[in-house]
Amino acid sequence: MVAWRCLYDRYAPLVLRFASALGVPAEEREDAVQDIFIAVFRSLKHFRGEAQLSTWIYRIAARHAIRLGRRRRARETMRVAMMKEKPPIVTDPSERSTQLATLDRMLGKLPPKKRAVLVLFEIEGLSAKEISDVVGCPENTVWSRLHHARSEMVKAARRMAS
Amino acid sequence: MKWLDEPQDEAERLVREGLDLAKQRLGDELMHRRVWAKVAETAETPEPRSTRRWLWTSAAATLLAAAGLFAYVRIYRVTSLPSTPTVATNTPPSTAPLPVAPAGTAVGSETEIVPLESERGPGNVIRAREGERLRVALGGGATAELEEKSAMTWDSQHRPTIQRGIARLAVPHQPPGWRFSVTAGPYVVTVVGTKFEVRVSNRTVGVDVTEGVVEVWRNSHSTRLAAGESWHGPLYPDEAASTSESASSVSSAAPERPQPLPAAAKPLSSATARSLQEAETALQAGDAAKAIEILSRTAQGTGPAAENAAYELGHITRYNLNRPRQAVALWDKYRNRFPNGLLRTETDLSIVETLSQMGEVQAALAEANTFLTHHPNSERRLDVQRLAERLRAQAATEAK
Repeated sequence: MVAWRCLYDRYAPLVLRFASALGVPAEEREDAVQDIFIAVFRSLKHFRGEAQLSTWIYRIAARHAIRLGRRRRARETMRVAMMKEKPPIVTDPSERSTQLATLDRMLGKLPPKKRAVLVLFEIEGLSAKEISDVVGCPENTVWSRLHHARSEMVKAARRMAS
Repeated sequence: MKWLDEPQDEAERLVREGLDLAKQRLGDELMHRRVWAKVAETAETPEPRSTRRWLWTSAAATLLAAAGLFAYVRIYRVTSLPSTPTVATNTPPSTAPLPVAPAGTAVGSETEIVPLESERGPGNVIRAREGERLRVALGGGATAELEEKSAMTWDSQHRPTIQRGIARLAVPHQPPGWRFSVTAGPYVVTVVGTKFEVRVSNRTVGVDVTEGVVEVWRNSHSTRLAAGESWHGPLYPDEAASTSESASSVSSAAPERPQPLPAAAKPLSSATARSLQEAETALQAGDAAKAIEILSRTAQGTGPAAENAAYELGHITRYNLNRPRQAVALWDKYRNRFPNGLLRTETDLSIVETLSQMGEVQAALAEANTFLTHHPNSERRLDVQRLAERLRAQAATEAK
């Protein structure tokens, strides 16, 4: 249990940051981190050391976050269909939170696969090789997704800025 | 060199700064410890075997079939009855009847609002207009049903705040040591897991408990309410106290139970109240510097307004300006000036949390130990105890 605790202490902040950047909403983040670590501990016996432990954890986290995102989008579609009007537009006085909220909105416009690559590269600092291990695609695909994700992000930012 | 390290325009700068900020989004200590408690508990239990899964699947299928049958019987009964006015479809099930909207008000369809974490902050107001009922997700599974003409917002500590009208809250059971709080006027209602209603009118605040137990706090005094009990108190207790001293005419706001109010404090002068309002408005508009300027002036005075302003200065510095060291210094100044202040517990707690987040292990540990000695009955005792344990372990590792 001590080893598990060390592993948790080391990777929980990373997993939380990753889940946030992949669009897991705040109220679901705690549960998401919990589920990811339960999955990590239960699958630890299958970890063969072929990739770095962090890469392996990111892989589990990415799968979980994408699955959550799919469920959330389905719920959102239902909600929008049932709503008469949009919720009020709200602003946050904290500059830091506003910038993060803006980033989340921009990331939210990216397709999940491109988003995962951009987040892993730009926020988590993984190499293209490591990302290809996490998302399960060739390294060249990682570079191409990253290129598209970057240009879509800048376009989204320009639309927001204007 | 990083991507967009030299941004060409405002949009590129926005992206780069957002990405840099996102790297710092690591969650707080308390959250990580809370999740660990759940992970450790679950990870220790054996993984369900396939036979057990099969049993569960069968049980779930049986339950589903029973639920389907039950729903069918109910729908059949409802359609065979004469038509009745529409009631919100997703009102939480409850054994006790929930209070209904005043007679003659046509309750329209219910709209669900799920604000993002960043939207659950001061300055964001959610209003239910006439004939409208809103269901607002408050995070952690808690929901608030806002009746028509009601409004809610969040305070500086990101607690939901009922500004006016009626809100019915349903709060799932909270993890050990954690409590959900909602504010209404000068009161804080804390719960472990329950259903209750908060009403804020022009002059009074009322709480009706449907299920579970809640506590209504004002400063360091509290009243505990069980299911079926009600409480109400004046929205402006200081004002009510001064009025009752002179005219004894606030019988309409008389509490049904002993009130959790401390001895009457000096009422705020209109100029002070205006200044505090201005500071709040500035903060809501994102002008932290102006809010600090106003609060610094107010803090130079005396009484509860000065005390509140002295505490808020630290809070804004910490959370709006993101200057933790300076915030600790301001809170320390508060403690020296108001050693027995009404916000002393909150201040001590803020210092412990901030020092811990800053990585000042020894200082945070010393503060946590002092907190546990000075506030043995605090509702946050358990959290601080866990934090102290963690800090002790960290200090021991560092010593090696």
